[in-house]
Amino acid sequence: MDYKFPEELKYTPTHEWVRVNDTQATVGITDFAQHQLGDIVFVELPEKGMVFEKGSNAVEIESVKAVGDLKMPLSGEIIEINEKIVDNPELVNSSPFNDGWIIKIAFSHPIEIDELITADEYKVITQKELQQ
Amino acid sequence: MDDEQVNIKKTPLYEMHLSLGARMVKFAGWQMPVQYESIIKEHEAVRSNAGVFDISHMGEFNLEGKDVIKFLQHIMINDLNLLKPSKGQYSCMCYENGTVVDDLVYYEETPEKFKMIVNAGNIEKDLQWLNDHIKDFDVNITDLSTKRSRIAFQGPKSDEYLQSIIDIDLSKINRFFFAYCNINESPVFIARTGYTGEKGFELSVDNIHTNKIWNDLINLGATPAGLGARDSLRLEACYSLYGHEISDAITPVEAGLSWLVKPKEGIRYIGKDVLIKQKAEGAKRVLVGLDLVDKGVIRGDYKIFKDETEIGFVTSGGYSPTLKKTIGLGLVKRQYSDVGTEIFIEIRNKLLRGKIVSTPFYRNV
Repeated sequence: MDYKFPEELKYTPTHEWVRVNDTQATVGITDFAQHQLGDIVFVELPEKGMVFEKGSNAVEIESVKAVGDLKMPLSGEIIEINEKIVDNPELVNSSPFNDGWIIKIAFSHPIEIDELITADEYKVITQKELQQ
Repeated sequence: MDDEQVNIKKTPLYEMHLSLGARMVKFAGWQMPVQYESIIKEHEAVRSNAGVFDISHMGEFNLEGKDVIKFLQHIMINDLNLLKPSKGQYSCMCYENGTVVDDLVYYEETPEKFKMIVNAGNIEKDLQWLNDHIKDFDVNITDLSTKRSRIAFQGPKSDEYLQSIIDIDLSKINRFFFAYCNINESPVFIARTGYTGEKGFELSVDNIHTNKIWNDLINLGATPAGLGARDSLRLEACYSLYGHEISDAITPVEAGLSWLVKPKEGIRYIGKDVLIKQKAEGAKRVLVGLDLVDKGVIRGDYKIFKDETEIGFVTSGGYSPTLKKTIGLGLVKRQYSDVGTEIFIEIRNKLLRGKIVSTPFYRNV
C-alpha cells in the first residue's frame, strides 16, 4: 500500500499533519491514518474559540469500525472548523490533505513548531507501526 | 516475538487475503481480514450482489454415535425433534443459570452423525463443555476446525452465481438445509445459512480445496468481504454476537431468543428450569433496537439512561451502511423497553438523545 506523505507539511507521531501559515496552522489526519481508520462516518468537531493544549484530544473521528481522534499538534485556539466534513465525513478519506482538512488553530507557543517532524521522519513511524 | 504472536493462527486463505490487500487484525486468536478496500463497499456488495467471507476461524466438530440426539437434547435449548436428516438448527448451549456457553448451528447428517459449527472464540470452551457432559452417552467428538475451512457466500445473487459451478439444484435446498456436492469438482458441504440478513450459503471444505473454491467464487463476480462488513451486516439484521448480545452473563430470553427455549416435555436439559420460568414471566431486562436522534455513533458498552436513571447498556453499535446512520442494540430494564421510548446514550461523557426502535433494522431472508 502506498500512502501519500506531502513533503511541504509537518507531522506528528500521532498521525496529524500541520500546514503552518504565519500565526495559524491548518490541521488534519494523514493519509496513513485515514486508511487505518477505514470509512469515516462522523467527525465530532470542537467549537470555534475553544482552547486546547498540545497533545489533547480536540476531535473524535468515528469510522464504521473504530473511533480515532485528532490530537492538537500545537497549543492554541480553534479559529475555524471544516463545516463540509460534518455532512461529508468521507472527505477525510478521499482528500485527507486538502478538502478533508479538519481544524485551523491560532497557535500560542510558536516554539512547539520545532517539535513537529518531517515527512521522512513520519514515514519511518508508519513503517514501524505496520511491522508490529 | 512474544508467545502470543508465535501462537497466532492463520487460515489457509491468509496469503490470499494479503494478496488482496486486506488489513489483517487479531480476532479470537486468529489473523483475520477486517477489510479489503472498504467496509462500506463490501457491505453494499453483499446487499446488492454477493460477497465471500473467510470464516475458517470458526470451529467445526463432528459428533457420531448412537446417542447423539439424546446427548444434544440434554445440552441444547432448542428441540432436536424439530430436526431431520439434511437439515440444520440454530441453538444455544446454556449453563444451569440460563446464561450462554455458546450459540451455534448443528446439522443432522444421519440420526447418528451431526456436524456442529461454533464460534471461534469458544472452540476450546465448547469442546470442554461437550466432553464434560458426554458421560455415558455413546458419542464421539472429532474436532475438524483446523483440517477444514469455512467460507460464507452471501448476497441476492448468490444462488444465480453458485448454480453455474455446482452439481446440484440449489432451488431444492431450503433455508437451513444442507447437502454434500461439488463446486467445479471440489467436494463441499453446503448449507443455506448465513449471518448477513441476505440469502446465501455457508460452505465447509477440506483445506486442500479452500483457495481454489475461494477463487471460483470471486471469479463469479463476488466481492471479498472482511470481518468489518460481517459485523455491520449482522448488526443490521440483528443477529446475536457471542460476547455482546449473549454471553455467560446474559440469557437467550433476555437477548430476544425466547423462541429457542423449547418445552421439550419429559426431557430435562441444562438451563431448562431457569429459562422456562424466565420465558413465562418475562426477563427483567430485554434487548432493544437503538436509534440516535443526535449526531454520533453508538458503540458497545455505552450506558443507556432514561432521564437520570441508568437503565442498561449498548451490547453492539455502529454505522449502518444500508440505513446511512448509526444503529445499535442494547439491554435495558423491561419497564423502559417499549418502542418509541425516549432515552439518552452516554457517549464520551455527553448524554445524546436517542430512542428505542423496533428490530431488525434490515433483513432480506
